[in-house]
Amino acid sequence: MNNNLIIGMAGAGGDGVVSAGDSLITALALDKYHAILTKSFGPQIRGGESSFKLRVSTKQVRSIGEHLDLAIALNWDDFLKFGAELPISEKTIVIYDSNTGIEPENIPIKGKPARVFSIPIEEMAIKTAKTNRAKNVVVLGLISGWYGIAESGIITGIRNKFTKKGAEVLKGNEDAFYEGVRYAKENPISSGDIKLAQPLADAKLKLLTDGNDICAAAAIFAGCEFFGGYPITPSSEIMQLLSREIWKYSGVTVQMEDEIAGVASAVGGSFAGKKSLTATSGPGMSLKSEIFGLATMAELPLVIVNVQRGGPSTGIPTKSEQSDLFQAVFSAHGDVVRPVLAPIDVEDVFTMTVEAFNIAEYYQTPVIVLSDAELAQRKEVIDDIDVSKFKILNRKKPTEAELENYVRFKFTDDNISPISHPGMPKGNYLAAGIEHTETGAPTSGGEMHAKMIEKRTKKLDPIKKRSDLFITYGDAKAEIALISWGSCAGVAMEACDLANEAGIKVKLLIPKLIYPIAESVYNDFFKSVKKGLVVEQNYLGQLFHVIRMFVSTPDGLKPFSKAGSNPFGAIEIFEKLKAL
Amino acid sequence: MSTATTEFVAKDFKSDLKPIWCPGCGDFGVLTALYRALAEIGKAPHDLAFISGIGCSSRIPGYSTAYGFNAVHGRALPISLGVKTSNPDLTVIVASGDGDGFSIGGGHVPHIIRKNPDITFLVMDNFIYGLTKGQVSPTSGKGLKTVSTPYGSMEERVNPLLYTLSYGAKFVAQGTPADMKGLAKILEEAIRFPGFAFVNIQSPCVTYGEERDMIKGQKEYMKNLEEMNHDTSNKAKAIEIALEYGDSIHTGILYRDPNPGPSYTDLIKNLQEESKSKAVAKDKILEMFRPRLK
Ligand SMILES: Cc1ncc(C[n+]2csc(CCOP(=O)(O)OP(=O)(O)O)c2C)c(N)n1
Ligand code: SF4
Ligand SMILES: [Mg+2]
Repeated sequence: MNNNLIIGMAGAGGDGVVSAGDSLITALALDKYHAILTKSFGPQIRGGESSFKLRVSTKQVRSIGEHLDLAIALNWDDFLKFGAELPISEKTIVIYDSNTGIEPENIPIKGKPARVFSIPIEEMAIKTAKTNRAKNVVVLGLISGWYGIAESGIITGIRNKFTKKGAEVLKGNEDAFYEGVRYAKENPISSGDIKLAQPLADAKLKLLTDGNDICAAAAIFAGCEFFGGYPITPSSEIMQLLSREIWKYSGVTVQMEDEIAGVASAVGGSFAGKKSLTATSGPGMSLKSEIFGLATMAELPLVIVNVQRGGPSTGIPTKSEQSDLFQAVFSAHGDVVRPVLAPIDVEDVFTMTVEAFNIAEYYQTPVIVLSDAELAQRKEVIDDIDVSKFKILNRKKPTEAELENYVRFKFTDDNISPISHPGMPKGNYLAAGIEHTETGAPTSGGEMHAKMIEKRTKKLDPIKKRSDLFITYGDAKAEIALISWGSCAGVAMEACDLANEAGIKVKLLIPKLIYPIAESVYNDFFKSVKKGLVVEQNYLGQLFHVIRMFVSTPDGLKPFSKAGSNPFGAIEIFEKLKAL
Repeated sequence: MSTATTEFVAKDFKSDLKPIWCPGCGDFGVLTALYRALAEIGKAPHDLAFISGIGCSSRIPGYSTAYGFNAVHGRALPISLGVKTSNPDLTVIVASGDGDGFSIGGGHVPHIIRKNPDITFLVMDNFIYGLTKGQVSPTSGKGLKTVSTPYGSMEERVNPLLYTLSYGAKFVAQGTPADMKGLAKILEEAIRFPGFAFVNIQSPCVTYGEERDMIKGQKEYMKNLEEMNHDTSNKAKAIEIALEYGDSIHTGILYRDPNPGPSYTDLIKNLQEESKSKAVAKDKILEMFRPRLK
């Protein structure tokens, strides 16, 4: 019995590869498994080659995993285009469509998989559904048959999808599925038992979503009532879900004419007293940065989600990278500290988005959430989130007494000044991007400027004590350390497990608070550390360097940073650790 | 609003801040006309939001007792959209300059016109960049010599009246502090208009402007639309008048859509009203991700 299985499939446009992946993960979720699904596309806008990779498990999984257990090629040209996403090892079982006319010993892949089978996928599709468009359904039948999973969910999915297309089409697709199941039962691909273990007895029906959708839901949960943005891959789904849902909660979503207008409208919403959000990706972030400074200066709460993609410039819009950390931390003129949070998985996108609103509102500051294409677009089956444990913070309003002689930017003990909004009697004030006195009056006085910068900076100091925004994992006394963030963190956890299982003591620190740097948390962590790696998906080692601006790190701590759109694998990190 | 019935006088809208403008700047007159218009409208200062960009003209919000937001150069319009859609009960006024509104912020103008929120857009058009000390502006006449065009500008001017009319603005007017009473009246009408309203204000820059554009000079070629019996519902005629921008100063309302229909803010309110009943409790929001066997 396996309790973990990784399947990858690729095909041409029109083969329905992605929809097969979606059907499969939905069916597995209904079976109460844990699963993660990632999809990859060629550069075409629509209809080009595509692939999916799915990892299913009886336990929570932290990453999409590495080598495939089952590789499915509907044709070899397209499969090879996804070579890096769909790695094959000596343990992989490879199946492909016999219509390719290639003999199993001649398939065009490097290395030697465990077994290779040529299977008449297209033939079965045409025989049953009278169309080669049902190839994906045949493949679902094969998977279901071999591994004993997902049958009822897939059949229901087929019924939902094809009922409206008429009885004949529906029957054809049902037949295609059962043809696959039949073939699988008659032609086992393994001599051993490859069945997937049953879900745990106490497994519950979980949630199935991706990082963008759950981000939008988190915003509504946190009380967001204004979204202004502009479409950009891979962030648009945040705007799209909000534009469907936010009205129900008396909110507004506006698709503006560009990203500057998007963030400007959100700052307007915040000035008007509403929790406001904008979401974008690399090029949009670059455009928005002047307004981030305005929000810092005018002390207006604002949440910005950056779904990172390959950069600079247009870069690789559809692929993930963690290369916008410097930008998130530093893109500002003037002396600016702006909190930056990074979620580590789909569930954490919820937590970090709510946290971002809380920090933004409480401290009256812009907050950046650094998501990435991997988190945004991967579908994950996640356990229910106990939303009752979340506290929702709101901006501090002036009291009646304070309104009698209201001073908007009053110097206070915690450097946070109660904030009014238009419509609030006696709270009238001038918000400004220009430096101002406590009342909001413009000033060019150097002394006041220095005091105000200190106020805006110091009010954020308590955030640096938030050790709850860090995960420490592994052997607490280990001399070897891993540090990783964002979507790489799950892989680093697996690497940490591999090392400890192999008797190499390793500990892992995952900062979800990227900035300001929590010096004391790092100093504590580094106490036992002699050497280690900072693992991140960028070329420059951006987190590594930002940590070192504020903390003296052990000499043996090195960056393990890698550009390119393919995520790290746990074994790869483990190997690198061993070589330290 | 409960406060709408209270009586206000012009000075209720005047703040304690002393304007930093050069003596004689046209913006003083605009400010006075604004105070008067706001007193006529009678809404409490706390229900007004004044949004501006950067420029001499963009200082206006600070000189009013209303809520103000003196933001960054060129972005007052999208900020105002966020303010108005977040709280449609507010009266939202944008103060801008020819550079702020039609150069750096020019790209926002068509889009806010398309949306038609109930916002009033005032541009203090002085044909020059005042704050940055006299560079050419998008409304400067061709040939104008400035510090950035020492041999004379080689570009045609933007025509703010034609620009806004042709993008479909439902209220377009022009005024000047050379006619204070007229200007106050125009501002009042613009603020009352239930949709996006644009007022181009020929507010002279006494420091960097041309003699002909000063209050005294303006009087030579001002034309009062009311006295001309201009029909404000005639868009074709309004466009014809707009074409004379730069040659004459027509004061008054060029165009007012007689059937303006619902504004963007009205539509938003309607959608929110209709959608309310479909909301699930926020603590159940994640149920939308529960896989279901339909
Ligand atoms: C992004 C940005 N670019 C440039 C400036 C400098 N700047 C401030 S105001 C201004 C032009 C002002 O001209 P106008 O909008 O016509 O206003 P006026 O001062 O004439 O009233 C410029 C270029 C700035 N503040 N921000
Ligand atoms: S520079 Fe011109 S526009 Fe600016 S304050 Fe002086 S006169 Fe007015
Ligand atoms: Mg100007």
